[in-house]
Amino acid sequence: MSTIVYSARRILTMNPSQPFATHVAVRDGRILGAGSLDQLKGWGKFDLDERFRDKVILPGFVEGHSHAFEGGVWKFPYVGYFDRISPEGKRFKGLKSIEEVVAALAAHEKTLAKDVSLLAWGFDPIYFGGRRMDRSDLDKVSMDRPVVIIHSNFHVANANSLVLAKAKITRDTNVHGIVKDAAGEPTGELQEMAAKYLAYRAAGVELSAILSDKEAVWRFAKVAQLSGVTTATDLHNDLPESTVEGYLHATNSAEFPIRILPAFAAGSVAPADGVPRLQALMKKNNERLRFQLVKIVTDGSIQGLSARMRWPGYYDGTPNGVWNIGPDDIDRILLAYHKAGFQVHIHTNGDEASEVGIEAVERALIAAPRWDHRHTLQHAQMADAGQFRRMKALGMCANLFANHLFYWGDIHYAKTLGPERAERMDACGTALATGVPFAIHCDAPVTPIGPLFTAWCAVNRLTASGRTLGEREKISVADALRAITLGAAYTLKLDEELGSIDVGKRADFAILDDDPLQVAPEKLKDVGVWGTVLGGKVFEAPKA
Amino acid sequence: MIPFTVIGGFLGAGKTTLLNRLLRETVDRRFAVLVNDFGALDIDGRLVAEHGGDTVALANGCLCCTIGDSLVTTLLGLLERPERFDHIVVEASGVADPGRIADLAGLEPRLERDGVIVMVDAAEVRERAADGRLTDTVERQIRAADLLVLNKVDIASDLEATRHWLCQQVTAPIFEACHASVPLDLLFGLDRHGVTADVAPSSNFASWSYTWREPVPRKALMDLLRDARQGVLRAKGIVRFDDAPDRRFTVHLVGRRLDVRDEGPWGDMPDSRLVLLGLRPMLGCLQRE
Repeated sequence: MSTIVYSARRILTMNPSQPFATHVAVRDGRILGAGSLDQLKGWGKFDLDERFRDKVILPGFVEGHSHAFEGGVWKFPYVGYFDRISPEGKRFKGLKSIEEVVAALAAHEKTLAKDVSLLAWGFDPIYFGGRRMDRSDLDKVSMDRPVVIIHSNFHVANANSLVLAKAKITRDTNVHGIVKDAAGEPTGELQEMAAKYLAYRAAGVELSAILSDKEAVWRFAKVAQLSGVTTATDLHNDLPESTVEGYLHATNSAEFPIRILPAFAAGSVAPADGVPRLQALMKKNNERLRFQLVKIVTDGSIQGLSARMRWPGYYDGTPNGVWNIGPDDIDRILLAYHKAGFQVHIHTNGDEASEVGIEAVERALIAAPRWDHRHTLQHAQMADAGQFRRMKALGMCANLFANHLFYWGDIHYAKTLGPERAERMDACGTALATGVPFAIHCDAPVTPIGPLFTAWCAVNRLTASGRTLGEREKISVADALRAITLGAAYTLKLDEELGSIDVGKRADFAILDDDPLQVAPEKLKDVGVWGTVLGGKVFEAPKA
Repeated sequence: MIPFTVIGGFLGAGKTTLLNRLLRETVDRRFAVLVNDFGALDIDGRLVAEHGGDTVALANGCLCCTIGDSLVTTLLGLLERPERFDHIVVEASGVADPGRIADLAGLEPRLERDGVIVMVDAAEVRERAADGRLTDTVERQIRAADLLVLNKVDIASDLEATRHWLCQQVTAPIFEACHASVPLDLLFGLDRHGVTADVAPSSNFASWSYTWREPVPRKALMDLLRDARQGVLRAKGIVRFDDAPDRRFTVHLVGRRLDVRDEGPWGDMPDSRLVLLGLRPMLGCLQRE
């Protein structure tokens, strides 16, 4: 029973009765105490570890909405606009024009074996001044092998001429999602079902399958750990046996650097089968793996033009989006899991979806009153003050998609939501004011995992073009730090076990190079992450 | 190329009942049916040849697959199977746009779009459509139809208003049914009416379906179908004629080619049924007769 005391420049505990400390004692993977060295001496013999004496220690970050898919995409080259860091810690420079993307792909193409398709991901044409990629661009990469570029939203793709020819797609193909130019020829841009289908045909297997292999969960854990995360969700998974085995195998290794919570995709099977299945899975839980969450996906995404919006809908007149699971089914599924005692996470991007989610919880509570359910709206990007008040009254939580402000804020301002609703989207300020317990998230791989960046978004609310989106919804750095630690832990019902540095809790820490409360708020995203500690085990982040 | 049919319609409209009929009554065609949930299908245990997790093979050569998380995966998996099917039928989810699913036939060279069948609950559809959260979902489904099955007409009140409401939205034939009882050969080889991508149907056409409990006067019907001035362009149905009430006749009219065939004993079908497609003003007159 050895005890290690870590010294630090400062420890931000998130424990309100002792917000700051200089030392933390760890025994058996748990926090024995925090305070000054003198205060900790009474616990008996210890080893003093001073490697963090110049660092700042926070509770390990909790990412309440991410997908292990993030670990899968790194199997393929990244061709996005923004810099992104791989699981190995390598920084991939953002590509700032279509020409740069083509050049990078052409170089990659030469490294591939014969008869292999080229897939890449992360492409986002919205920053290229209106110029869209077309098949002639990708034909420069290769005429002989299928080339498919998946966009950052994972709903749109570009293909080269060979892919179109193989699928016999011509100017006469009248199918939704095949984009055509002014002359009526397919450009190679593919949307939704067309993108999914042709990417599958080109790769010979569906993306989600290639992307959730055994190594994917390891890569996901590593990329999460690089950014100071010690607990992350995989917030929508059918949990087939092979995936469960992969999780069990990975999390039984002491080298696995995070705790992971897969959320069971409630829409994938009838609740009568799903409830016992999840109950059985919970028996397999271990220190690093927790089956306990349920996910219901209601609508699509705002930028994908598939969010369910209340009147007056999209700012540019785009028709309302689509239900993934309709209101009746949401009620039915939610009630089944609610009655069985589960916490349900409800994906709602548009405000009509949020309304349906809130009303479903209200009806479930009338049918089966229950305390501390903490059903959580995930994203809730368009929720207004009235909806937050209802969430508060019903005992619900929100997990807001703060990263959207930066990555798509300009589009929301100009096209999808219009200025007024864009300014109040992902309303952390309103959540705080109404008392709704909340977290903020990245939805990796939709945006990169990085809680300090997410906190920076909630604090500064800056778009990619530099516009401040909603001065009044900004929150303080201290509130944002709470949202990525204890706040997120609360939305996962783990706040008594982790999320703050307090006696008896898990020894999960984020080790930072600087003090986020001391740096300028606009520099929050630039605070370096040295690594993490998980259950007392130190994980230094690889440096590229 | 394998014909590809999508069955859409809101929750509870009768999609599963129709699929059950399809699987039970088919004799000469091997269907592969992709459904959301096996449990809802009423598959007779004696007919199951093999149960393989996500698939059930039936003794009559048909196969059922659950769609699971991804229709694309399931469909491509099916196409890779060694056995060949005569027809693939997909059950769309209750909120999906079946027209978008039918688009898969445009992406996959091995498939040929056969049609979109949309089930509509006559008793509930207008109430659903009046719910602002569902209006566009229901209307999208209806507009995607190449054949609308107006189901549960036996329990619907104000059927006339529902018919009128549907006619205003679609040109597709409307077949009225109880318990999704639709003659199987009406379901296939449909003409394109559904709205998808840039193909919009012409509004000059209209369709209607007829149901007769009593035997139908043969001469009157033949005159109607043969007379080009009546504006009937296409007809399809199963009819019991007054001059042979114990026989079952199929009636097909394509352009000016009229084909009437004796298919054997009438059996236990309750009604004669006929779907007509024609020029809109003409059919309006027919309806009143």
